[in-house]
Amino acid sequence: MRDTANFASPINLYEAGDHAELRILLITGGWEVRRSFNQLGIQPGDRVRVLRRAPFGGPLEIDNKGTRVAVGKQLAEKIRVEVLP
Amino acid sequence: MKVALAGQPNSGKSTLFNAVAGYRSLTSNFAGTTVEYTHGQARVGGEVLELIDLPGLYSLTPTSAVEEVSRDYLLAGDWDVIVNVLDASQLARSLELTLELLDLESPLVVCLNMMDEAARKGMTIDTHALGIALGVPVVEAIGVRGRGIIETFHTAQEVATGGDRPHAFIYAPEVEGVVEELAEKIAVSAQGQPAAIPKESGAGTEESGVRSDLRTPMESIGLQKSESQESGHLPALDCAEGPLECGGLTPPWNKTQEEGGAKPPHSKALRAISCAVGDCSTACSGHTPATEGPQGPRVPTALAEPAAQRPAVLPPTDFQAVPFQSPITNHQSPILAFPPARFRALQWVQSDPAQIRREEPEIASLVEWAQAGIAVRTGQPADAAVSAARHAACLTLFERVARVARPRADWREQVDRLAMHPVWGYAVLMGVFLGFFRLIFDVGRLGEARILTLFDALVAALAQHMNAQSALYAGVKGAVLGTAGAVAIVLPYLLPFLVGLAILEDIGYLSRVGYLMDAAMHRVGLHGTATLPILVGYGCSVPAVMATRILTTRRDRFIAAFLAVLVPCSARMTVIFALVGFYLGANYALGIYVLNIIVVALSGHLLARLWPEISPGMLMEVPAYRVPAPRVVALKTWWRLREFVLVAFPLLVVGSVVLSLVDYYGWQHGINAALSPLTALLGLPRSVGLTLIFGVLRKELSLLMLMQALGTTHVLGAMTAAQILIFTLFVTFYLPCMATLASMIREIGWRLTLAASTALLALAIVVSLGARAVMLLF
Repeated sequence: MRDTANFASPINLYEAGDHAELRILLITGGWEVRRSFNQLGIQPGDRVRVLRRAPFGGPLEIDNKGTRVAVGKQLAEKIRVEVLP
Repeated sequence: MKVALAGQPNSGKSTLFNAVAGYRSLTSNFAGTTVEYTHGQARVGGEVLELIDLPGLYSLTPTSAVEEVSRDYLLAGDWDVIVNVLDASQLARSLELTLELLDLESPLVVCLNMMDEAARKGMTIDTHALGIALGVPVVEAIGVRGRGIIETFHTAQEVATGGDRPHAFIYAPEVEGVVEELAEKIAVSAQGQPAAIPKESGAGTEESGVRSDLRTPMESIGLQKSESQESGHLPALDCAEGPLECGGLTPPWNKTQEEGGAKPPHSKALRAISCAVGDCSTACSGHTPATEGPQGPRVPTALAEPAAQRPAVLPPTDFQAVPFQSPITNHQSPILAFPPARFRALQWVQSDPAQIRREEPEIASLVEWAQAGIAVRTGQPADAAVSAARHAACLTLFERVARVARPRADWREQVDRLAMHPVWGYAVLMGVFLGFFRLIFDVGRLGEARILTLFDALVAALAQHMNAQSALYAGVKGAVLGTAGAVAIVLPYLLPFLVGLAILEDIGYLSRVGYLMDAAMHRVGLHGTATLPILVGYGCSVPAVMATRILTTRRDRFIAAFLAVLVPCSARMTVIFALVGFYLGANYALGIYVLNIIVVALSGHLLARLWPEISPGMLMEVPAYRVPAPRVVALKTWWRLREFVLVAFPLLVVGSVVLSLVDYYGWQHGINAALSPLTALLGLPRSVGLTLIFGVLRKELSLLMLMQALGTTHVLGAMTAAQILIFTLFVTFYLPCMATLASMIREIGWRLTLAASTALLALAIVVSLGARAVMLLF
């Protein structure tokens, strides 16, 4: 619902580098997608870290306060993040 | 006393359950679903408790069918107390479900399981403070070591008998006000008619009406917030500040825990917590669950706008019966109006607008109105606002009761560095599965040979004591051979497989497999988790089909089961190698395997097109590695085995009896004649018709029967090389064996099984004809 244009670097989770500290800004993609992430305790504002990614466009594994979650490419692309210093 | 065990997946519920309930417990399916739950009895403190181990659920707004059944069970209220099992090492996240359970305002006990795990992560949890904050008893436990389990159930008993009910978790006014009003409105619209009589009777009172112009409130309000506020389009809230102010949540990205003093999430959460402690005088004053209100029609004050502006467009509702009707039981909760009206309203507010419109059109406009009300006040969709508030509260609560020091060095990190490595991970994967199959085959072959000898002796003994020419003998022999097939051929392979599967599952390796294989499985329209059934299919189709249970949607289960039975199982492997490998050479046999992989990939691709996917992609928790509890492994194996015995054994025995009688009465000519169009089409000798029928009983039988039907063990003399190849191809692809069919019916239902069988048969004909055409050309 918010305008995302004012973020300096609107990159998605899939594009973000490995091992980077990220902050989730927005979960796009509608109710279903939001729910799925919320269920696993992932919300806008959370700090997450990309642990590793599977080859051939496979999922990436992120760590959110000790909960590790594998996120497929399509879903990772629905998450806007900012890279934290 | 009924105790429902609810918790998020991997929280260790089953360990807790199995520690007290044990071998006499049963797995059942929720009515009309393939979702299983376990229930059993345990004697605690002289009283027999009935325990229900529900499938794991992350929240009460589910996204998978499995969670949905758990939720429906909880909301049906057919229990006396809920034991909410939490993984203490994932406390912050696990609390989100707990907060939702508080909203049920029903007896609840929180069991902090895996305290050892939390300690390893460097966490110290103030259980006492957590209990006070939540307003429910909190018990520490280490399920695998048996600690805290009895205490948990004791506490559950006390809570259930004491009748303590926790207070609901209270959200910020901008949410709470709308929710309360929605609850009231729906209650009012429902009270316009006798509560027990649904639908048509009694028109809704005027209060039941909502503005028809708010049918798509999201858009209309989004465009003209301030204006609509004044003109009374939105629910008025007893909110001290301007609604947009107090609803004007700080942008979510400002809401992280490190900003300790940040006001919005904290104040909300703390208020909620203080509220749960019992200091509700201020925070909760505005909140009275509608159920506790007077039963007469109520006119919400907030709706005190001119009645003329409120056309009574809303059809009479049947909300009491519709929303959370449980498929499990017709049991009506003894508590009047359970779940509480506020809880229901809260669920509606968080629900998918499209789904509500589809499934409960009577209340859809009211719900949309409420969602729009929250959306405009919080600047985000209603469900996001509610879950963000809950999330923030959990983080705050977590910070108050837990301290996190440096975690101890963990060998499991190192394991994952290897097991999930982009290159070595696949090597580990292959190693694990090769080892797994090796084990199954070694154990299985050992068992098979010994048990078959026993049965051969039994048949020989029967021949001596009975008239070998009688129909009775033929029937009995068939029954014995059928039992032999089940006991000697399936069991020795199935048992080690089930043990291995339970161990791989409980260690947590399967989710790593899912992670590694996701990209590849996407090519055939599935997710990484579907790898296991298909790999298992190379061993035996029966457990492969059973393994599709780990998949969440019906679609995924169907496609995975279809592909898993398409893969040549070990029985078909013997046919392929004994016929094609022996007579035409190993390269041809390997060629069949390659062809099979191509066909599997193409079929998967096609099926994915025919039945497009709804779920957008993989999102799966990667649990920490755990040492499996032998008791849980044994119980899982036993339940699955028992299921197979009950479903497949009778079929195998009956089928075998029928076939021996066919043989005895000499009906094979008729059958061969009936199948002659097929055999002629494929260019096969007419006498192999019956063989194909036998192959459905057990795949290896098609090989043995082929030699019997041709009257020679030198197949190449009776059939040409081309015929052998076509026969083998057909046997590889056509109908799965009877035991597989039985488990398919069990897992995906008979309709889909029928569809799959027809498709497989057609596929086998196409492949065989294709091979014939190719051979005719060259």
